[in-house]
Amino acid sequence: MRLILYTGKGGVGKTTTAAATGALAAQRGLRTLVVSADAAHSLGDVFDRRLGPKPRRLATRLDAVEIDARHVIEEQWGRVRNYLVELLRYQGIDEVVADELALLPGADELATLVCVEEWASSGLYDLILVDCAPTGSTLRLVTLPEVAHSSLRWMLRLQRATAQIVEPIARGLVGAPLPSAEVFAEADRLFYKTLHRLRARLLSAQTSIRIVVTPESMVIAEARRLLTDLCLFQLASDAVIVNRLLPDEALREAFFQEWGQTQIERLREVETAFSPMACLTVPLQADEVRGVVALAEHGKMIFGDRDPAARLGPSLRLRFERDDGGARIRLPLPGLDPKTLEVTRVEDELVIGVAGRRRKIALPAGFAKLEVDRVSYHGEELLVSFAANGQSERPPPSSPASANWPSP
Amino acid sequence: MRVLLYTGKGGVGKTTLALASALGAARHGHRVCVLSTDPAHSLADALGQPVGPHPRRISENVYAREIRAQVELDGAWGHIQDWLRELLREEADVLVAEELLAFPGIEELVALRAVREVEQTGDFDVCVIDCAPTGSTMRMLRFPDALRIFMEHFFEFERKGARLLRPLVRGFAAGRLIPREEFFDAFERLYEEIDDVQQILLDGDRTSARLVVNPTRIIVEETRRSFAYLSLYGIATDAVLVNREMPSAVGEGYFSRWLELERRELEAIEESFPVPIKHVSLRPREVIGLEALEELASDLFGDSDPAQRFSTGRPIRFRHVGGRTRMEIDLPGMTKEEIEVSAKGADLHLRVRDGRRSISLPESLVGRPIEKVRLREPVLEVHFGDG
Repeated sequence: MRLILYTGKGGVGKTTTAAATGALAAQRGLRTLVVSADAAHSLGDVFDRRLGPKPRRLATRLDAVEIDARHVIEEQWGRVRNYLVELLRYQGIDEVVADELALLPGADELATLVCVEEWASSGLYDLILVDCAPTGSTLRLVTLPEVAHSSLRWMLRLQRATAQIVEPIARGLVGAPLPSAEVFAEADRLFYKTLHRLRARLLSAQTSIRIVVTPESMVIAEARRLLTDLCLFQLASDAVIVNRLLPDEALREAFFQEWGQTQIERLREVETAFSPMACLTVPLQADEVRGVVALAEHGKMIFGDRDPAARLGPSLRLRFERDDGGARIRLPLPGLDPKTLEVTRVEDELVIGVAGRRRKIALPAGFAKLEVDRVSYHGEELLVSFAANGQSERPPPSSPASANWPSP
Repeated sequence: MRVLLYTGKGGVGKTTLALASALGAARHGHRVCVLSTDPAHSLADALGQPVGPHPRRISENVYAREIRAQVELDGAWGHIQDWLRELLREEADVLVAEELLAFPGIEELVALRAVREVEQTGDFDVCVIDCAPTGSTMRMLRFPDALRIFMEHFFEFERKGARLLRPLVRGFAAGRLIPREEFFDAFERLYEEIDDVQQILLDGDRTSARLVVNPTRIIVEETRRSFAYLSLYGIATDAVLVNREMPSAVGEGYFSRWLELERRELEAIEESFPVPIKHVSLRPREVIGLEALEELASDLFGDSDPAQRFSTGRPIRFRHVGGRTRMEIDLPGMTKEEIEVSAKGADLHLRVRDGRRSISLPESLVGRPIEKVRLREPVLEVHFGDG
């Protein structure tokens, strides 16, 4: 079972790209499910079919679904929900609960994870494609197992340690029942086990993330930050897809002349920033891509002879480390002459100059108060060490810290 | 202080137009603060200059600030943060834990709180908010209501529970996990602050939403629904801004089909939204930096002040027609099947797709039965019978 998540800034064409991948993969024999995880769904609009919270068959081997957090909660949260209803009845309100819960932050992401894991382990599909919400929410989606995993383990331990003593007293004091062991067992099953499995799935070699961009600097800058966060959580991305490249025909229009030059530069920027991931390019279409047939054709344009479900390229093995001794970034850069290397920190980015080419890496939030301390190159790997403010001899972070390769 | 919320589907140009409006408003003499509440910030990318979590001057009378949950938490809610850190410490490594402090919901909360902070400084006439894409923004706007429900129904319960549990589990490892009293105090203060912000947002004189749209089908369809959700939550949209229209200089060649589709969508836009529509065309190059943004502002707003209220309509209104009162609400893009209306006590419960809100009825309508619900695109009418 292969799982591929499509992500990127809003409006770059994630939905169309995911749907096209699905249409093509199904045509080539894979049992495929396309999942929309964006609360503002447009997957149905792209397929030109009305979709709901249950997978719907659109063509041979091709299903699609739009996740509805409220539906998932009603369906899956049986006991937890009943407990809440019971609790709330004590306080005088009733069945709005499911709705309210569905609208709480994190509910969409949680619902998506629970559903995807269920479909992934159902044996019904060879390929699941998730069309993620715009960047910010995607991060929340991939980090949620981590958060829920930690908080639930603690809640469970706490509950088990205290339930026996506390339950009877609490009932008397607050006039409401505490969650029963059953409620916790269900929460355990739902969150802990499911999310634990999903976390393992997200980290497995069967899962890839594909970043969709357009050749515009704002879009690429955001994608770079996204890549950093993906690396931070050790999620593997196999490809970047550059969508909406203006074709030669369009560039004949005088108006687009400058855009034409810009996109060559942007494309180069993408290739540098995301190597060694595969880089696929897709021209801007003259007509809107809508419906299964048009989408499968579009898929052929994206993937050509490649298998749309294959791992398209190696993932970037960029590693961030932080402990008491400071923080480090490790970046494999094989076959490099260290003399041509220059590393500079500019605001929230690390700029790595290699033989005249500049590669920018967005720094994680945890690095905000640190500055570049030392740069070294060992075993084909670049190692940039950071130190907390004042612990190194470098200038304060208001002026860009710079460190050149020290002479051997 | 005027609050302008810029929202719309991802990638339509919210950040660009929010910044252009801010610069335009400053030219009309206003002191402007631009806040980005999208956790994937792009103010700095559009300005071509750095913007940080603290207000930074970007031009005459214009300041910009990217709201970052981590930084805000450091400052205001040490207690809440300490608890979360404790919770995560055992499981995640330090770096991941730092990232995870941006718990779901924290971002929405931090963003709303920042609006109040800008108002309280008294230094600004206009606060322009570059919002996250529609889905998250709706969640942000829904947040005060969700928090209210939480506070009313769970909070005291939790607080009592924590008070009770604390002595019992002292000495157990799990004991650290029960939030301290200060945590609850911090939370209560927070709730009061968010309630203040809600008052600002629901006041049409002070707050207007601007929906940014591109003339393509999927974007127009989603924007119609966004308009409806904003109405539902009581937020007045005063203009729809059409960005990236094909310029007239583009010929019929490769783009002929595009131009045809675009014309159709522009008509749909005119028909769908009961507010003024403003247009700006695709530029010959990327819009980055102050100069390009100011030029865009002149094209979009001409001589008018971007901070003015372009439409005085209210999203939810009670009207007297023929001796009877009815409620009207603008819900473009919604079908009758997606709407549910019921009266319960002094409230009208309204459900629109996956959005829901209780609206307080004026005293004269309390206890009256709903006689008829009629959808006259884009207006939903709720007629009340005699009590």
